Amino acid sequence: MNLANLLRHVSLKHVRLQKAQLVMAMAGICLGVAAMVAIDLANRSVLCSFEDSINHITGRATLQITGAESGFPEAMLERVQNVAGVEYAVPVIEATASLSGGRQRALMILGIDVLQDHQIRDYSITDESADIPDPLLFLARRDSILLTRTMAAQEGIDIDQQIEMQTVAGLRTFQVRGLLNPAGPARVAGGDIAVMDIYAAQMAFGKEGRIDRIDVSLLPGENFDTMQERIRQVLPAGYSIDTPAARTRQVEVLLSRFRKSMGFISCMALFVGMYLIYNTVSITVVQRRKEIGILRALGASRAEIFRLFLTETLLIAAVASLLGAGLGYIFARATVDLVAQSVSDMYLRTSVTELAFSWRAVLGNGATGVLASLTAAILPALAGTRLTPASAIRSLPYSAESSLLGRKIKIASALSLLAAVVIFAVFESAEPASAVRSLGVIMASAIFLLLGISLCTPLLLRRIVPLCHGALAACFGAQGRLAGLNLQKNVSRNGVAVAAILCSIALFVSSANAISSVRRSMFDWIDSIIRADILVSTGHPLATGGSPTIPMPGDMQQEMEKVAGVLSVEPFRKGYLNYEGKKVLLEIFDVARRLEYCPAMITQGSREDMLRLPGRDNIVVNEGFAVKHAIKPGDTIVLPTPAGPVPFGVTAIVVSYTSDSGAIWMDVTTYRRHWQDQLVDTFEVLVQPGRDIAAAREAILARFGGERRLFALPAAEFKVEVQKMLDRSFVLTNAVNILTLIIAGLGIIITLLASVLERTREIGILRGIGMQKNQVSAVVIIESILIGAAGGALGIATGVLIGWIELEGVFRLDFGASITYHLHYGAMAWAMLLAAGLSAMAGLYPAQRAAATNIVEALTYE
Amino acid sequence: MIELRNAGKTYQQGSREVRALRDVSFVINKGEFLSIMGPSGSGKSTLLNLMGGLDQPTSGEVFIDSRPLHGITDNELTLIRRRRVGYIFQFFNLLPLLTAEENVGLPLLLDGLPFSEVKPRAAALLDKVGLKERAEHRPEQLSGGEMQRVAIARALITGPAVILADEPTGNLDSHTSEEIFLLLKSLNDQGQTIVMVTHDPKAAAYGSRIITLKDGAPDQDIVIGGDNP
Repeated sequence: MNLANLLRHVSLKHVRLQKAQLVMAMAGICLGVAAMVAIDLANRSVLCSFEDSINHITGRATLQITGAESGFPEAMLERVQNVAGVEYAVPVIEATASLSGGRQRALMILGIDVLQDHQIRDYSITDESADIPDPLLFLARRDSILLTRTMAAQEGIDIDQQIEMQTVAGLRTFQVRGLLNPAGPARVAGGDIAVMDIYAAQMAFGKEGRIDRIDVSLLPGENFDTMQERIRQVLPAGYSIDTPAARTRQVEVLLSRFRKSMGFISCMALFVGMYLIYNTVSITVVQRRKEIGILRALGASRAEIFRLFLTETLLIAAVASLLGAGLGYIFARATVDLVAQSVSDMYLRTSVTELAFSWRAVLGNGATGVLASLTAAILPALAGTRLTPASAIRSLPYSAESSLLGRKIKIASALSLLAAVVIFAVFESAEPASAVRSLGVIMASAIFLLLGISLCTPLLLRRIVPLCHGALAACFGAQGRLAGLNLQKNVSRNGVAVAAILCSIALFVSSANAISSVRRSMFDWIDSIIRADILVSTGHPLATGGSPTIPMPGDMQQEMEKVAGVLSVEPFRKGYLNYEGKKVLLEIFDVARRLEYCPAMITQGSREDMLRLPGRDNIVVNEGFAVKHAIKPGDTIVLPTPAGPVPFGVTAIVVSYTSDSGAIWMDVTTYRRHWQDQLVDTFEVLVQPGRDIAAAREAILARFGGERRLFALPAAEFKVEVQKMLDRSFVLTNAVNILTLIIAGLGIIITLLASVLERTREIGILRGIGMQKNQVSAVVIIESILIGAAGGALGIATGVLIGWIELEGVFRLDFGASITYHLHYGAMAWAMLLAAGLSAMAGLYPAQRAAATNIVEALTYE
Repeated sequence: MIELRNAGKTYQQGSREVRALRDVSFVINKGEFLSIMGPSGSGKSTLLNLMGGLDQPTSGEVFIDSRPLHGITDNELTLIRRRRVGYIFQFFNLLPLLTAEENVGLPLLLDGLPFSEVKPRAAALLDKVGLKERAEHRPEQLSGGEMQRVAIARALITGPAVILADEPTGNLDSHTSEEIFLLLKSLNDQGQTIVMVTHDPKAAAYGSRIITLKDGAPDQDIVIGGDNP
């Protein structure tokens, strides 16, 4: 009750009178929570979109059977249908196509058995073709297709209209026989889906005699595990028999690294927000020290003072977190497409049609914001309770200085740094497959490093600032000297502002350095591996990004080699396969021909070993795969093929950055022999020496343009595309980094504002003895720039270390030892300018307040 | 009422040890108006802080109403300050954000009483010190004398066993100071025990007893008639 009285009669009045300080503290928490909510919601939306697609497509199927990505023999269907306990087993083809007109919209093609599929999935058809009684039956015609009502309305397509689509067989014309209501499978991918008969789909997408999946419903009372086992017995090894939930989990695992790293950077925003709260409460305690003394003298206990400050923080943080949750929702709406694009670029093609709002995500992150604020407030609130009433009332020197420079802080700083080193050492010495080698562990090391350096910031300031007095006086005269002295006088409080800047700059610099390292290594690798002049594909050459790549028949290779100016053409195919429960990228090309002109970056093994690939059951794996699965040249691994598991000998380890889940290289002849898949995703064309690349490109497009829509990208443009893709994948990281910088900037404003308010009398004296208003402002702004510069310099040093840890722990784990650490000097210079510039801006308002100090009032101020 | 037995207070000032009070022993009886005098640095305020439970002795014992102020928990000491002691400071120490009425009622608000209950009691005390019309004013809108009257009303609101006044007129002009002394005197006449620290012999003469301190120890203990000077 007395707490309620104190809140009502004391705290509320502070809220009314110190709005600026309050608003800035709230803004810090609000932005931190907003970043977390936005990234969480966007990530959830991407995952929900996958889950929704899986569930809508699955219908009543309780088990799904999949084999190799290129499909498996349809003879397997009959085997499954004959298993006791199976109610229905229906075949499915899943492919990607695109409309040839308009925006060349990409759509998913669902090839189904029209006579049986309604047992598993419900199709609700609104408009039917005028001349048919049953559109599903009519689908049996090879040119029949069902579109969703949503897509038809958006594209202006009517019933019975003919549409042209890009398929594996080239451009084909289909007739729209019906429109699907937005229910069941028609809800997948926001309605960008079309249904065809399975036979027609096999023809159009080069899967004659093969199917992609069998969806199975079970008779009532049948047990999942028993049925999985029974089905497994009738199929060759290597097939996956999963529930839809398990498929969702596979996607979740595939995206887990992406989600964790996004989560990490959003947590960092809140981490910097915690500095802000720490700073705000510390300053509040200093400013209200006399009030605390009076309250203590009048009989308020230490616990009541502690509870008062924590409750104030709780209320402020609750309101700020609530606002942050709302703002996060708005941010999420703005960024969800960006996240979906990143996932498409790096992992699996996805499109998110709606934001997956989750109270749990919003409230959970909001609660994290409140908890983080309370945690940050504990130390300064405790410092408030330590004040003895007598010293507080008589305004004796505040003991906070000693609290932040004291032994405990030194010990905590040393322990944090030690923890960072130990965790990193444990990480480095652990076996590659060990649970210790996880993103969480390496992040813990980075956080401890950040914490350790942040904690010793006041100590560093105390040592460094006195050394700068001479230089400051030389550069800025009396104002510079005063600014330096002010900074030194309050090293604890200024140290917290410096630490906030340090954290955000460290994150900025570490990201920039890690990105720069990955980018340079990747470009070196691309330069080494792509010697073709033109890359020909049906979609964006980076398979998952932009418009979809629809495979082309392998025999186009010979046709393309006949085109004028073309020297040679090499096929390239890629797909995912399941290895030890994880999706691994399989890259297929003509190894012997590529080695003729391309020095593949071999880390273990030799060119001769690589040349042993064609026609034999040999493969090459990338460093990431080798490290994760502890594989070395000479080992044998078993891979699932459509005909069952086949042992493959590993001949060499190479550099490849195409997938963080691991990549396997296989020769095209070996692949075709086992997979019976003649399709090609990209043709790599080498132009005859002396011939014009543009002319060859035109000739290729002229030769095949009538059959199918082709992308024929000169290699130089392809590299630009890769660069764009990389930049896209880091846009969100940069956005959150800027958010943390803004939060840190708010910290500087709060610090300086408090400093100005506390120095009212001092400023009054300076004004009284003849200091001009602009000189007063200059002192505050120089002080602000000094805080920014100190934070910037320390942040850059810390960022270089964290960037290295990130590279060692995250990227090297995924891509191998070939990635070297490159410092991005440009970004580091920008970081310094940003820190100093932002700090100068943050100092403007406090400087204005200082200049506006009323001399008479300040000098009579008690 | 208040008893000190060999009370001492030592501060650490850097590496130097400062003995602010040494072996102070005396008893203050109920209804007394004790003036404590002495030059600057003689330990007057330290002594007052020990009697009010703002500080604790480093040696010896302090009792208020036979209850020890030493060796008890901070919470127990806090409750004694809240309910048994009324404090008047030289610089008033009113909370600038609160109105006069809220400042007066603060000790009761700390005790958990609702403001609706506190308000009439605060208003009555403000009336008693002649500030009925200033109840809604904040400290910055009051004169020095008015602020000290608010502080006196605040000291009285819990009906304390003793009022401790630390140079209550140190910041006021002579006319206002006299008004405050007369107010304190009238409170003492109504039976209120008062201990006042001052360095002004004229002010000390308002008391019924004067103790002078020298170098942290009592020098003289004089009982006077209690008549006004």
